[in-house]
Amino acid sequence: MTRRKFIRRLIKASSVIVVGISWLAKNTMPRKFVRAFRVKKYPGSLKPLRDISKQSKWSG
Amino acid sequence: MKVQCELCPKMCLIEPGQSGECRVRINIDGVLRTVVYGYPCSINIDPIEKKPLYHFLPGTPILSIATVGCNLHCKNCQNWPISQANPEDENISAYFCPPERLVALTRRNNCPSLAYTYTEPIIYYEYTYDTAKLARSAGIRNVLVTAGYINEQPWKELLEYVDAANIDLKGITEDFYRRICSGTLKPVQNALIIAKASGILVEVTNLIIPTLNDKPEQIRQLARWVKVNLGGETPLHFSGFYPRYKMRNLPPTSLNALETARKIAIDEGLDYVYIGNLRSKQGENTYCPGCKVLLIDRSGFTILKNRLKDGCCPDCGKEIYGVWK
Repeated sequence: MTRRKFIRRLIKASSVIVVGISWLAKNTMPRKFVRAFRVKKYPGSLKPLRDISKQSKWSG
Repeated sequence: MKVQCELCPKMCLIEPGQSGECRVRINIDGVLRTVVYGYPCSINIDPIEKKPLYHFLPGTPILSIATVGCNLHCKNCQNWPISQANPEDENISAYFCPPERLVALTRRNNCPSLAYTYTEPIIYYEYTYDTAKLARSAGIRNVLVTAGYINEQPWKELLEYVDAANIDLKGITEDFYRRICSGTLKPVQNALIIAKASGILVEVTNLIIPTLNDKPEQIRQLARWVKVNLGGETPLHFSGFYPRYKMRNLPPTSLNALETARKIAIDEGLDYVYIGNLRSKQGENTYCPGCKVLLIDRSGFTILKNRLKDGCCPDCGKEIYGVWK
């Protein structure tokens, strides 16, 4: 193998490695969030607003 | 794809379809979603003394809300049926009350302030933030009742719209936070310092649990930490524990233990030390740290007499820490 061929192959191999690592990083690293987005529908049950004037039974 | 929630120090790595430890922040198709925005499970009007806040608009009603969920899992939680519930649980239903409706409700009921309380306002952060911002523009004050388990950046952003907070300091050792609350102490201390430095009114609550955090040396250490880091004027509430949730094996806190804690904290140089969850004449009242005269006479959540004149002691003129009007 000539020196030029060897360098070409080395560059090719390095590119494949770099692209592979970037792909892995993009697809396996978690996406980070501080703020969350809203959902359209509450997953639980809903109730109508009732008299709110009395003290809560909960602490705080 | 996994997502990481960076709101609180738990930094939950959440798999698709799963929620973080708080149960309300969910990974849906690689995006972090809050399922409780606009859906409080509790809306009530309480006396502000119930939060407890003794140095913020005393004697006024406060519209108080909570959604289900919490990022801590204290074994002694008094509100565990909602704090440790999932939004989809059948026995806990919610109201539909987006920020605009909540602010309108607060005004219609003549409440000067709105409290984000009962469970943990940090886990419904976006709802708290948007409502607080809207309430502020409508002339309503915002109050947080929180364990302070939040990362620095979102905490600072939220505090811009907050007027007062009662922050739990549940213990003074890492071991206590790890074993009892499934959290850590340092972020809470950090949140307390940031809140106080931001200029909002801060009161601190410590729930005294027999055998776990009631030793005089622990009380002294906690009071000293408050004095050094938040200032001697910071009100400290010692609350009585009742056997609840996963901690039904311990007796309730005795009045004697609370009064001893109050004495220790006063000896350490704190000006305003209160007793909660048990009736104590002296432990409910506010006294002037200068001339020791009675300033605010309370009976439970009721104000019997408020002698403050423009936020000062009428006898010696000392300015009393608080927001009085």
